[in-house]
Amino acid sequence: MNIIEVEKLCFEYPITDDEGNVIGGNRVLENIDLKIPKGQFLAVLGHNGCGKSTLAKHFNGILVGNSGKVFVNGTDTSDDDKIYDVRQTVGMVFQNPDNQLVATIVEEDVAFAPENLGIPPAEIRKRVDEALNAVDMYKYRLHSAHQLSGGQKQRVAIAGVIAMRPQCIVLDEPTAMLDPKGRKSVMKTIKRLNKEFGITVVLITHYMDEAAQAERVVVMDSGKIIMDDIPKKIFSQVDRLTEAGLDVPQVTQLAYELKKEGVDISLEVLTEEDVLKELKHLLDK
Amino acid sequence: MLKDITIGQYFPGNSVIHRMDSRFKIVLDILYVVILFLANNFISLAVAGIFIFMAYGVSEIKPVMMFKSLKPLLPLILFTAALNLFFVKGTDEPLVSWWIINIYQEGISTAVFMIVRIICLIVGMSLLTYTTSPIVLTDAIERLLSPLKKIKLPVHELAMMMTIALRFIPTLIEETDKIMSAQKARGADLDTGGLMKRAKALVPILIPLFVSAFKRANELAMAMECRCYRGGEGRTKLRQLKAQPIDYIISLLMITVLGFVIVDNIVFV
Repeated sequence: MNIIEVEKLCFEYPITDDEGNVIGGNRVLENIDLKIPKGQFLAVLGHNGCGKSTLAKHFNGILVGNSGKVFVNGTDTSDDDKIYDVRQTVGMVFQNPDNQLVATIVEEDVAFAPENLGIPPAEIRKRVDEALNAVDMYKYRLHSAHQLSGGQKQRVAIAGVIAMRPQCIVLDEPTAMLDPKGRKSVMKTIKRLNKEFGITVVLITHYMDEAAQAERVVVMDSGKIIMDDIPKKIFSQVDRLTEAGLDVPQVTQLAYELKKEGVDISLEVLTEEDVLKELKHLLDK
Repeated sequence: MLKDITIGQYFPGNSVIHRMDSRFKIVLDILYVVILFLANNFISLAVAGIFIFMAYGVSEIKPVMMFKSLKPLLPLILFTAALNLFFVKGTDEPLVSWWIINIYQEGISTAVFMIVRIICLIVGMSLLTYTTSPIVLTDAIERLLSPLKKIKLPVHELAMMMTIALRFIPTLIEETDKIMSAQKARGADLDTGGLMKRAKALVPILIPLFVSAFKRANELAMAMECRCYRGGEGRTKLRQLKAQPIDYIISLLMITVLGFVIVDNIVFV
């Protein structure tokens, strides 16, 4: 069962002249086809301006394509009557945590979405506590948002989305503005939501090590999907990634350089343990 | 300088004042202002003053915060005091008479009276914002004003705007500090020169600040849409405002003070 289905999606930002007349379009997405099964942890990779954020905004109807369709649980996202069902099913977290928090106090911000959905107060309280526990921020529930660190703020933003009980979360470069510690805590939270709560995760990122933790990686370049596979298979194709303006994880880079020098080593390595095992295997031979 | 602003600052706590229904707090605060302006002699003012300082005492807010809230308004207090001191004319001989300045006993007492009145006013107001979270405050305002929806006043939208404004005050202050440092690093001179020069030096700070504020507004609007925001219709609230016995007791106290002040005014005309 697919939670999100994208069919032949094209999108262009209109270009206007000085008087505001549309004189053309800047094509950002080109014939995108993508199916995301329930419960998957998918990473979308690509360098700046490749259209990955634009694609993400189509997943919950913030943007609607010029042609092609996006279905969430079978519902067309261009259907205005059902747009709030779609947005409740697919939650979205953005890059800058400061610009997503609506309320001053943590728990009041997390309550924002359930309040919008018209849920009774007792149930809101339950959902807020649940959501804050899920991102491990419960003990900060009465803090004001500006006293928190970047990683903590981003986790509160995630809790604010979880409180809607979505089946899928789309995260648009959630760690781009965070320090390494914050990045780690946010990544841990994302993986936990996927594993323990069975929430489908779409992680838009340009960090290779984050994408490597996903089940499946989609690589985008110039508005097209150019690769779609499991991380190991993706990162072993170092030449194609470099062409798309991307780096590979350091361990894969090491294996790649060794192979170029004629060493018989597999390129399907992602973690330090992987490469250690490979090297040990080589030395034993 | 920017960090001294305490308006809208909230200190979480669990005192009687914290737990009061915020609608009552707002109405009582307005009533208190009325009391302060009705009071026309030192006895009623003293009663009103003791009342608010007792309330401050039970609120568990540090006394230091009281002085902090007074600090930015100190020039206003001193100005009012000086005006009264120098310009109120008494019937007796002036106490001090030098050049064109005449200070009468009435002037001194009016000045002291005004100082106490303004201090009580500020303390009363800051007590409200110190003990009430901004969201609860706007929530209460929304509910108090809700009858005005009938005359098409966008009450919910106004309350939402206030919530967001309060949320972004610290963020924008931080941003202003950052921009100021950035401009100083490029050699901008913000601290010297005459009034005009300083005002002009603010332009390179305000423009980036405005640009970024609009960008933030744009992103926030999108994040709100993603969280299913669609106006006030059909919205519920995490916090329910419910009047409790304590609210009525404190209201009764306040009305007693009001009654005393009115009686006092009639007796000591």
